[in-house]
Amino acid sequence: MAEPSWSKHVADVLRRNGIRMFATVPDYIVSHVLEHLWADAECRVVTVTREEEGVGLLSGVWLAGRRGALLMQNSGLGNCINALGSLNVASQIPIVLVISHRGDLGEFNPAQVPMGQATGHILDALGIRYIRPGSIAELETQGDGLIKLGYTRSLPVAIVLPSELTGGKQG
Amino acid sequence: MTPESKTLTRAAATRLLAERLTREVVVSNLGQASLDLHTIADRPLNCYTYGAMGQCSSIALGIALARPDVRVVCLDGDGSLLMNLGSLCTIATEAPRNYALVVWDNEVHQTTGGQPTATAARSSLAAMARGAGIDKTAEVRTEEELRRAYDRILGEDGPWVVCVKVEKGRAEGRFDRDVVGHARRFMHALAALPAR
Repeated sequence: MAEPSWSKHVADVLRRNGIRMFATVPDYIVSHVLEHLWADAECRVVTVTREEEGVGLLSGVWLAGRRGALLMQNSGLGNCINALGSLNVASQIPIVLVISHRGDLGEFNPAQVPMGQATGHILDALGIRYIRPGSIAELETQGDGLIKLGYTRSLPVAIVLPSELTGGKQG
Repeated sequence: MTPESKTLTRAAATRLLAERLTREVVVSNLGQASLDLHTIADRPLNCYTYGAMGQCSSIALGIALARPDVRVVCLDGDGSLLMNLGSLCTIATEAPRNYALVVWDNEVHQTTGGQPTATAARSSLAAMARGAGIDKTAEVRTEEELRRAYDRILGEDGPWVVCVKVEKGRAEGRFDRDVVGHARRFMHALAALPAR
């Protein structure tokens, strides 16, 4: 059973690691995290038209000396693949991806399933280290370390949010 | 043909901009725009891009939002901006005053052999920028118009979108593709630029 406070824990992991710039194409699940960021005067959230645009924008944010995170659904990861590879991995530009995981356990929409099942493979193929915390305790144990690793390697990292953590979306 | 109506080249337009630069960031599109900028006026505050076709204007927007004290000029291409037209809407919505998007519009995909883009037919990037909600737009065809446009984008608040109709043709020279090195050099130069 998902704890309703999961979304604040995600927002807090990002904020306590110095991230104040965010880009998003919202979905039902990451919107819960966005509520905390929208309410925080120190945070700037840019809603982009397509997730790949967020990759470009946050890469610029990093080049200008600040940290950024992109909040999106795993379908949006598919829209980002070329930019993540040819910009972030090639130029060693770190960003934090926060990806709600549709198309896995409990999914009701067949259209979500192919990309949902491919999500881990896509991240692996790009060499993007990720965590997939099934509970708040796991998120708290692994989140800080993942983000630190991303900036140490100077490469993107991803926090994938499974339905076990978020409750998913009920159809 | 009078000198005023002669078609601009991308190299000449790049040179005219370079003469005016002081502490501006210039972000350049992959391929021709970056090669011209590198050959004509390499400087640490140039941010060259090599991949992620379409993302040049978004990278520049991120820099502008993170450093509102620094003017950011993006040199994009028509083919690349056509891949990321949503960027115009995000620029309009965020409306950074320190942002200027200059589009070298030669109406072809130059790097891949000169195949026509939609701007060769009926599409106008300046009109699309206005439709996205950017009021300060211009379409420039002559050197005199370009000089006036540079005066404004370097002196007045933006966001600006200036579409410059330029001749077809490949950039000269060879590009040193030190992708990581150029990014690091740019980061250090921008970090060292005093805030104001």
